[in-house]
Amino acid sequence: MAKIRICHLYPAHLNLYGDRGNMLALCRRAQWHNIDLEVTPIEPGESINFAQCDLLFMGGGQDSDQKLVAADLKKRQAELHKAVEEGMAIFAVCGSYQLLGHYYTASSGEKISGLEIVDLYTEAGPKRLIGNAVVKCSLWDPPRTLVGFENHAGKTYLGPSLQPLGEVLIGYGNNGTDKKEGAVYKNVIGTYLHGSLLPKNPWLTDKILEKALSYRNQVFKPARLDDSIEQIAHDSVIKLATSKRHKKLSSRV
Amino acid sequence: MQKTKEHHAIQGEFKNHFLKLKLLLGIWTGKTLITITRLLGRGGTTLPGRLALKIAPHIPSCLSGLLPEGCLIVTGTNGKTTTSALITGILKEAGYSCVHNQSGSNMSWGVVSALIAAASWRGHIFEDFAVLEVDEGAFPQVAQNVKPRGIIITNIFRDQLDRYGEVDQIRDNIIKGMDLQPEYGFEVLNADDPSLVSIEKRSGKKRLSYGLEFNPGADTFKNTGRDIKTCPLCSAKLDYKRIFYAHLGHYHCPDCGYKRQEPDVKLTECITNPDNTANLQIALPGEAIKTNFPLMGTYNLYNLLAAVTCAKALNISGTDITAALEKSIPSFGRMELFKLNSKTIVIALIKNPVGANEVLRTILNEADRISLLITINDKIADGTDVSWLWDVDFEQLSAARDKLTGITVSGLRAWDMAVRFKYSGFDPAQIRVEENAARAVERAIEDTPNGGKLFILPTYTAMLEIRRILNKKGLGKPYWEE
Repeated sequence: MAKIRICHLYPAHLNLYGDRGNMLALCRRAQWHNIDLEVTPIEPGESINFAQCDLLFMGGGQDSDQKLVAADLKKRQAELHKAVEEGMAIFAVCGSYQLLGHYYTASSGEKISGLEIVDLYTEAGPKRLIGNAVVKCSLWDPPRTLVGFENHAGKTYLGPSLQPLGEVLIGYGNNGTDKKEGAVYKNVIGTYLHGSLLPKNPWLTDKILEKALSYRNQVFKPARLDDSIEQIAHDSVIKLATSKRHKKLSSRV
Repeated sequence: MQKTKEHHAIQGEFKNHFLKLKLLLGIWTGKTLITITRLLGRGGTTLPGRLALKIAPHIPSCLSGLLPEGCLIVTGTNGKTTTSALITGILKEAGYSCVHNQSGSNMSWGVVSALIAAASWRGHIFEDFAVLEVDEGAFPQVAQNVKPRGIIITNIFRDQLDRYGEVDQIRDNIIKGMDLQPEYGFEVLNADDPSLVSIEKRSGKKRLSYGLEFNPGADTFKNTGRDIKTCPLCSAKLDYKRIFYAHLGHYHCPDCGYKRQEPDVKLTECITNPDNTANLQIALPGEAIKTNFPLMGTYNLYNLLAAVTCAKALNISGTDITAALEKSIPSFGRMELFKLNSKTIVIALIKNPVGANEVLRTILNEADRISLLITINDKIADGTDVSWLWDVDFEQLSAARDKLTGITVSGLRAWDMAVRFKYSGFDPAQIRVEENAARAVERAIEDTPNGGKLFILPTYTAMLEIRRILNKKGLGKPYWEE
């Protein structure tokens, strides 16, 4: 039986926007695909055994929690780098996504240095980018859509050779200007989208499981699942995001 | 020189007249719109206030200034509506009259609508007090306008992040509002919420706190949103001797020594009766009162203590407090009961993880099988981000699925809720999705066994819609007639 070991980073601190939903989606779908899943919660100060980790999950956090996490992970930066280069999977949302890059400049001017795993940096903008979002994601051929909700003050810019997770169809994405959302590097996926993201985009959940398996040379043998409810929920967000009501909502916040 | 002074005086008087005229124009517009919207079968709590504020932004400060006993503001994440209803009940028992935004319309325009509805066409207000529940986001603005005599703060939990931002931001906002209170005022705080009592008291102001002191049972709920996990002073992890729910309890910081202070008003005994009422003993400075309290749930004990503490700050007698508490009925959409032949319909508003978990806990305590309808909207007043559904412990419900005779999901985000149920462990075939609220209510009533209960869990705007549907069926009265 295929097996994935997930390290859930700081579940008590990084759990801002329904990140529990992302964990739940990974657990349920692994179970439905007959993958044995082992989840290890990591608390601040506890060390990760990278030899025993196939997928690192990092959720969103308040600014105060974010700093705590950054300081803690900085100590393990070299090991983390090595694991990423070898293909360890990471799924990071919102605040944690920013943390993967070079630095984050807060609105106060304070510069928090990042983990430098992927080539991106983030600067706080004057207004929060909030609303439903739809992106076209090229992890599949033909591309598939991802739907989520974004709420971030940071504007993230990717380095020239870094691939985004998707192209923004509706919403702001990384910075509201270049139509890029999230980032993909090796088996690392970072994104601003929550909502929760994974339950309404089951194909992305499966893709992350696949990446985690491939790191340890295991093959993903998907079971045939009925995703019709997820699909309708997905489509109804696209319908909402393209409606007049959504335009009114986003102009008000 | 003389001429200029005169000129100024005339100009000032002219300005006064102009302001008075604008005030009346605002009030008239508001009152007319309230009448029209109510004729149309709506509550008239948003639009009239909004428009009136556009015409005369000084309406709230002028009208609240006319109240002989002043304004009391209730704010915080959960419990605002019930707490302000309890305070109003106690004040009325003590012989005062009150303006009260009882429908839970608690943005600045909701407050203005309530004041305008109470004002006469000539711009007078004859009530003694205004009891206003105010949204945490709108709190600084409203505090500046109405200069509250009393501020009652219930708790701080994670709530609609798209609107309020993170928990730290909510706290900053509350502090901003507290700073705008006049110095003669008093404040009432929850001693069991570590993030509240750590707020520095401004000199001259009177502060009273309240807390629970009895022994609670074990908390089986996961992820009940312990949003404030760290010491507000030194950021170390807090230790708890007792937890009542979420992060409310008897805490202390192992690092800096910050700890819960003994509150002024304490609930020392709580015995639940078979009819879901509770026999309570409350210790106040200088007296102890006993009461039989009809509202279910630990969160309502906190609401009760907040109201009692506020009454104490206003020197209301223990006899009046007890008499009022025993008469309390559930507020607007908060475990509100409706009777349909032999069936009982209960509406319980859900809007954030902590509140929703407390509602689920109450449902799971029901002795008999029940039918369930969950209606999720994502309008501004509901919160446009539905991520919070994933932080609610619906897994508890799926573990007790035999208790449910039917599950219907409805509302603008019905499908999100259906997915949530699927991932909480339900068989998708068990979940009925009916986006239309009126049809969903019908189907859910059909699912309810004779003599049994239907629990409807709506978000705020869905609750207004469902109340209208029930009103049309002859159940309950529109809230502006209550």
